[in-house]
Amino acid sequence: MSTPSENIATTSEDVSSETMTDTSEGVQDVTYVEGVGNIPRDIYKLVKSDPLGDIPRYSYHIVIQHFLTFITFLVLASTGLTLHFSDLWWAPYMISLFGGADTARFVHRAAAFLMVAASVYHLITILGGTIEKVSKKRFDIRRTQIPILKDLKDIVHDMKYFTGKEHYRPKMEKFMYKQKLHYLAILWGSFVLITAGTSLLYPELMSTIWPNAAFFQDLARLMHADEAIMAITVIVFWHWSNVHLVPGRFPLQWSFLTGKITREHQIEEHFLEYIRNLEEIPEEKEYMKKVLKENGFETN
Amino acid sequence: METQEVLTKCIRKDVWGLISFSAKTTLFLSVFCLLLFSSISVEAADNENCLMCHKYRQIGRIDEEGKKRSYYVDENIYANTTHRNVPCRDCHTYITKLPHDPITEEVNCANECHIKPPFSKENFSHKKIIEVYNNSVHGIKKEDAPELKSAKPHCKYCHLNPIFTRVQEERIAFDKTLSRCLNCHEQKGVTQAYKHITHRLRHKTSRSPKEIVNLCSKNCHQEVDLMKTLKVSHESLEAVETYSQSVHGKSVALGSQDAADCISCHATNAIHDIYKKDDKKSSVHAENRTETCRQCHTNVGDQFANIDVHSKLDPEKKPVLYYMNTGLTFVFYGSVLGLVGLMLIETVGRRRDGIKWQIRRGTTWRGISKIKTDIKKILNK
Repeated sequence: MSTPSENIATTSEDVSSETMTDTSEGVQDVTYVEGVGNIPRDIYKLVKSDPLGDIPRYSYHIVIQHFLTFITFLVLASTGLTLHFSDLWWAPYMISLFGGADTARFVHRAAAFLMVAASVYHLITILGGTIEKVSKKRFDIRRTQIPILKDLKDIVHDMKYFTGKEHYRPKMEKFMYKQKLHYLAILWGSFVLITAGTSLLYPELMSTIWPNAAFFQDLARLMHADEAIMAITVIVFWHWSNVHLVPGRFPLQWSFLTGKITREHQIEEHFLEYIRNLEEIPEEKEYMKKVLKENGFETN
Repeated sequence: METQEVLTKCIRKDVWGLISFSAKTTLFLSVFCLLLFSSISVEAADNENCLMCHKYRQIGRIDEEGKKRSYYVDENIYANTTHRNVPCRDCHTYITKLPHDPITEEVNCANECHIKPPFSKENFSHKKIIEVYNNSVHGIKKEDAPELKSAKPHCKYCHLNPIFTRVQEERIAFDKTLSRCLNCHEQKGVTQAYKHITHRLRHKTSRSPKEIVNLCSKNCHQEVDLMKTLKVSHESLEAVETYSQSVHGKSVALGSQDAADCISCHATNAIHDIYKKDDKKSSVHAENRTETCRQCHTNVGDQFANIDVHSKLDPEKKPVLYYMNTGLTFVFYGSVLGLVGLMLIETVGRRRDGIKWQIRRGTTWRGISKIKTDIKKILNK
């Protein structure tokens, strides 16, 4: 994990140290934080959380971007699936909901343009934020969506935890392996869908750009449908389950509207980010001290 | 008692009055309705009085094959069709005496009829378009095999004697435009003429793209077995299937008016000049293709015309795309099942550790869940 940011960032190791003792009675995994005390890895089972969120996670830019993507995605999926599966029994009913095939195609394109705009907005936010952080020497690769080797180790560690071979979940950063995987998939998917979609919308223009128009048009037809169906399936069966159905998130994880994450979620799945939060948010430090005291842990 | 009798009489009188009143009203209303909804009978061109016999609904016979045949002609329907002004014998030329002999001949649409179109002194005939049609791939050729000859469509296969309908399109403001014609012309004639013209103001045909696709596919081009016996090319065999998987086909199937149907590409404005794609006269021949695409896709370069319209991921012709598609199927199931599996393992693992489904009283870790960290061990250190 040699990154250029290592020497400029204030890492959690600077302010905290970890102790792990393996005894016959069990494992003690505590992280020492200056001014708070020894924080047990599974303290998330003892803290109180507001379902609407306690700790800031997303800026309002990200909230707006998610909302735009969310709306356009639903429109794109319902028009796109209907046009693609035109021979299924429900397609004519669905298409009449959008005012016929020609209108549905227009709606699909309009929503696509809005989604591209949201993507551009996101890129500007992310690139701008990164440039700002780099210039202020606050950039830390571990707080970004960039995958690092630790993510692979985290997957193995987490699998061991889920199958009962580890006592604690891995200590993960602001974005865990699951989120990085999803984010990369969205980056790749958006690239493919936008490129292929442009090819389908402007075949005249794109045929002058592609080196082998006949091949690339066929490729675009294949990729656009395939990537879209995969995206829809993953969103419906995985993403929606993760934010609506799994334990701790039911009935709805509010982060996408409030931009905040619940305390117990942050400690459980983003422990290292929480340690940084303790440094950054004085109220959180006081709160953690109180929790430790109430449960008989040592504080300072 | 007396008063009661008078009362009953009065009531009886009232009842009779009511009945007779309602009977009169009903009669009046029914006559009114009959007048309202009865169509005004229109006269078809029948100077020779063929309808004297053919107006009877039951006129017909059971033929040698046991089929019921009707010879009934509904004057009202006929008078609203394209051929309303054509005398019967202009098409049925083989009838020379009355009562006529059994009919053995088909109608010949290339006949001249005794109708002179406006601004012309020539008798009208479909000869010109039939010539175009006979030259096309659908025209019967001498060298054709007998099964091909019998399978080729004749005029009446596609063209029924259509009743004029108004074209339901915004670009044709029917009432406004027609009212301008009526400034000079007689209502009866010009309405039909107007419909005749506006009928043809669609892209190419008076039928919708979906109707054209159905016409070409049903009982013909989509019948793979029939097409095989006619020894058509491999592309032609799959044409309906590949078209319905294309963006044109999918849009048309859902009722698009803009997307291309069969005729849009395979014929020029003559509509009947469909040729094999290797024929230089064909609108889809390599040399003419760019021009054909330009009907809808403006600013088309040479590369554009190479794009496959009837695309199919054939393992022999498009191996790269074919195996890519197979690979993507694996990727699809792999990622979806993998991610859903991950979610399930995650949930099982966390549930075993004591997490509940919903945050209540500030936590999801209620009840049996206890933290594993031993307080004493930490305190001792």
